[in-house]
Amino acid sequence: MSSSLLRRRISHSWRPRTRTCKARGLNTHFDPIPEQNPPIKNLEEWTEMQLKRQEQKELIEYFSQFGSTQTRDTAWQPHHSLHRPPTPHSLTLSALLAAGAHLGHSTSLLNPNFIPYAYGARGGVTIIDLDHTVPMLKRATNLVRALAQRGGSVVFVGTRKNFRAAAQKAAERMGPQGFHVGDRWLPGTLTNRLELFGHSIVQTTKIEPDLVVFLNPIENTNAIRECAVHHIPTIGIIDSNVDPRIVMYAIPANDESQRTAELIAGVLSIAGREGADLYKNFQEELDLKRRQSDERLQKRRESFERSREKGLTERLYHESEERL
Amino acid sequence: MNHLLRFRPSVFTACRRSFATQQNFVPPKSLEAIDPSSSHELAKPVTPTFYTGRSSYYESMGALERAVQHSRQMLTTLNIFPLPPFALEALPPLIPVWKSKEKLNSALDTKLSATRYRRMLALLNELNHFRRIAKSAGHDDVGSVIQDILDFFERDDKEEHLKRGRKKPVKFDEYGRSYTLGRRKESSARVWMIASHNPPNDAQRNSPPPTSQILINNVPLNKYFPLPGDRERILAPFKVTGTVGAYNVFTLVRGGGSTGQSGAIAHGIATGLAGHAPDLESILRRAKLTRRDPRMVERKKTNRAKARKGYGWVKR
Repeated sequence: MSSSLLRRRISHSWRPRTRTCKARGLNTHFDPIPEQNPPIKNLEEWTEMQLKRQEQKELIEYFSQFGSTQTRDTAWQPHHSLHRPPTPHSLTLSALLAAGAHLGHSTSLLNPNFIPYAYGARGGVTIIDLDHTVPMLKRATNLVRALAQRGGSVVFVGTRKNFRAAAQKAAERMGPQGFHVGDRWLPGTLTNRLELFGHSIVQTTKIEPDLVVFLNPIENTNAIRECAVHHIPTIGIIDSNVDPRIVMYAIPANDESQRTAELIAGVLSIAGREGADLYKNFQEELDLKRRQSDERLQKRRESFERSREKGLTERLYHESEERL
Repeated sequence: MNHLLRFRPSVFTACRRSFATQQNFVPPKSLEAIDPSSSHELAKPVTPTFYTGRSSYYESMGALERAVQHSRQMLTTLNIFPLPPFALEALPPLIPVWKSKEKLNSALDTKLSATRYRRMLALLNELNHFRRIAKSAGHDDVGSVIQDILDFFERDDKEEHLKRGRKKPVKFDEYGRSYTLGRRKESSARVWMIASHNPPNDAQRNSPPPTSQILINNVPLNKYFPLPGDRERILAPFKVTGTVGAYNVFTLVRGGGSTGQSGAIAHGIATGLAGHAPDLESILRRAKLTRRDPRMVERKKTNRAKARKGYGWVKR
């Protein structure tokens, strides 16, 4: 794309020797010696700088084919945990381990109710038993999928700066059934809805969601309490210093790791997306059936009208009576 | 089995059965076209940020963040991001003129706190930086797309806002008279100036040097200001620039005393002179004649005889 845009402005014909460059994030800066780079004065110098950088990029791209087979495209990148999470079917214990989901808090802060989910301790830190985490996470994904399949709404609450993107992405995956809270959950969102949203919205909108997923439950105790008051099921990432009973479906894992939160939110939202797609198909089928039944009804009405005009109604009535 | 199907409905009505449940039996086929989830009369919320309680703020922030990411991607593809130091120096200065917090509140229909307003401005400044880079590098299409997004957040009176603080040019009427205002202490002077000497074409070789008149409230200078200090103050702008006798001056001055009035007239004359001959402005500025003297009479304070003077110490 860049080469085509640049070609519009250069006078001489210049064809790139290789295929379009995909290399990004490299230091495509120009000459490292600052004295040899005077400040840019006019448009030609800008174009010159752009072309020089493009040349460098393409040079690196050309020689990459002779280098390592482990390139940026083939290796795992940090942004993959957000944009390419594992599906519920392909979730493994090693993926959770790689994300650091097994690292709990200090042993002195261990909540006694968490002991069943603790594997042990090492270096003064509680290690979470991922053999419990995996089936509990799978159960949570089944819940989200079934809920979404029946048209339920899911709210992803991730109030730390690191978790904001994960919550937003998870909500996006679920389409119209997904919502997110990236900053503070305002106390009274559910219990003081009239004041928060106003009369008109409360009367026309379904305020209560069908499920709330907490990526950091200990920082959202207000929200958990409100959900409990309104009997809304909750899923939460429970760390070793948290009582697992505060949420309905606990997922024992590290709540401080961004990668873990992205993985869990991703897995849940992919299951939610599957359910949402099923719900959408179901809605479309319903619409089709409704339209067909409406058409049939319309046809029967029209034929009845026509027959009435011809005076056949009386005869049909008598015939039906005879049949009875 | 077939004879059962030929049973008349009258037979069914005769032996009506009673069931334990109160509700009548409804065949499941008739419920096929009914959606169980649509039994709620209420609609689901529309925006994904509904549960934040500040939907429109988070929606606009989300849109701005997406715009920032998209612009950064485009500029990186065009090889103009990130920029090296020598290119950054070549960029024109950024003078952002964003809407105030109150105006943004009404535009977005929310109540912004100081922190949220600052966060929004940070994103807007980043977008503005990308727009600047795109425009400087000649990619006007990219720059105009970013400008369309930023137009919503910019002040309505952007040009006027940028012009404030800049000195307005001195206006001349059809006869070539300048009209300026001068102030000092409690006095204000309205000064009209016009060139007194004849144009060079008509000047004769041995003509006497040009003379001019200075009238203050229709009274000549020597009559209005008997003190030499006041007269010197008024003539200072002419003396410093070497234009004594070149301009006729008519002033109307009000307020204050002799020092204030003479200072106000001098200030007006200096501004008018800078208007007539812009080359002389730097000379007048270096001589500190174009600056409105900000010194005003300090107020008297309680427990003091005057502004600064204290009462005498008394032993008892």
